[in-house]
Amino acid sequence: VREPSDRELVRGARRGDREAAAALFRRYWRDAWRAAYAVTGRRALADDVAADGFERAFAALDRFDERRPFAPWLHRIVANRALDILRSERRLAYEEPLEPSDLRADQPHGDRGLLAAVADLSVERRIVVVLRYGVGMTPKQIAGTLDLPVGTVNSRLARALEDLRETFEVERVE
Amino acid sequence: VSSELERHLDGLLLEVPEPEPEVGEAALSRALAALPLPARPSRRRLRLAAVLVACALGLLALAAGSLAAAGALHVSIGGARTYVYKPLSLPHGAAGIAAVVGGRLSVVTRGGFRLQGLPVSAATLSPHAVYVAAGVGHSLVAMRPDGHQAWSQPAAGRVVAIAWAPDGIRIAYVVRDGRRLALHLIWGTGTHDRLLERSVRAVTPSWRADSLAVAYVGAGGKAVVYDIFHGTRAVVPGSPPDVSQVAFAPSGTRLGMLGRGLVVAGPTHLRTRLPIAGIGWFGRTFVTVTRGGSFGPLHTGSVSAFATSGRTFATVVDRGRRVVAGLPHHFAPVLSLPRGARVTSIDVRQ
Repeated sequence: VREPSDRELVRGARRGDREAAAALFRRYWRDAWRAAYAVTGRRALADDVAADGFERAFAALDRFDERRPFAPWLHRIVANRALDILRSERRLAYEEPLEPSDLRADQPHGDRGLLAAVADLSVERRIVVVLRYGVGMTPKQIAGTLDLPVGTVNSRLARALEDLRETFEVERVE
Repeated sequence: VSSELERHLDGLLLEVPEPEPEVGEAALSRALAALPLPARPSRRRLRLAAVLVACALGLLALAAGSLAAAGALHVSIGGARTYVYKPLSLPHGAAGIAAVVGGRLSVVTRGGFRLQGLPVSAATLSPHAVYVAAGVGHSLVAMRPDGHQAWSQPAAGRVVAIAWAPDGIRIAYVVRDGRRLALHLIWGTGTHDRLLERSVRAVTPSWRADSLAVAYVGAGGKAVVYDIFHGTRAVVPGSPPDVSQVAFAPSGTRLGMLGRGLVVAGPTHLRTRLPIAGIGWFGRTFVTVTRGGSFGPLHTGSVSAFATSGRTFATVVDRGRRVVAGLPHHFAPVLSLPRGARVTSIDVRQ
């Protein structure tokens, strides 16, 4: 049996077909949550960000241009939601330290993994790394997602790789 | 190193753990509830529907008239949802939050319960935010997590304040019947409704942690505690005059009271000229929130409503434009308010 395409599921969801909407959700929930986790570094935040992202995406399905692919649109919503939450948290919680990241507890190898190294990047650099290497977007798509010039995306990527490379070199030396 | 690093990064999300299954189910419920309504039918169908609706309304009005005359009219709500402004978000660490803004209820719970824009007069969440009870028209209505009605109890008038006991068994609510306000108790199942006090003030009751006593404000303005186990009531010794808020601690038996120029919590009395917006508890710590002042690390404007549950709090900031909630050291905006909208109550549950 052929799997329905994203476009078919989106059309169904727009008509009020909850089965189609649920199938669309199940197809992308895991990816959206994992991207949210990689950006926020905390399970509780990833739960909220991914759930908010889907809720907003479904509420805006009427405005979605179905000639375009669904996944990048969804990731755009999730990424911006993650940024909003992290920025508001940074703006508001300045007297007390933020909750520690879950990344270290979740690291299967016990040592400082790649994900933990990404978590140490600034939010702006981290999100472009996750969208580029985790989600597989091109710099141009990332630029569209984050409303940034392509040059800014490229420079953030380059600086992020530089930071990560330093971490890796240190680990190799150790 | 760079190409090796990029190869590692290509598998970045493979290192990410899996989401919890129940989180996915809750998120799916929220997402489905947010789906837009199906496309509008044709004009011809609309005309036909309008005629049918007009007929139905006519019949309904006739039926309602007779029911009201018989004193048996109470509302029934379906799954109608009206999005009136940006949806409320669930604070971190909370099981649920409910806010009444401009007479409309917003609810969101970790279990996936989401409701927006229902016109209510007051609302409370059940323990762990499984249900919400609200004053709808001249009824007390409890809603299930799917947003539909669990039960409805006709009331003598508008329900102006509600509080669900920590054990979930009873609900205390204040009803405005003409010029008089009466306090009722009803079971969480919607049965065994009884009048507890014929004349009280329009203050939200507060349940003791063991759910065996409820505090309210009597007609004279003093705090009163009704002991359910012994069936007795007594004015709280040291109650200030004109009490506008009562708050039992989440554990133990200490009662906080906010009166005219006086805050009392157990043996502690605090005289103040500052306008107090609310009182509450973080665990064993009693807190007061000054109107127009600041609270902890907020410093973001005036506070006009405040709710606590365990260590979670929710409050209105930025001159009434936003509600923030969470733990004192980890809070975030959960609701942006339209200009001029007034938050009449917030309830947050852990």
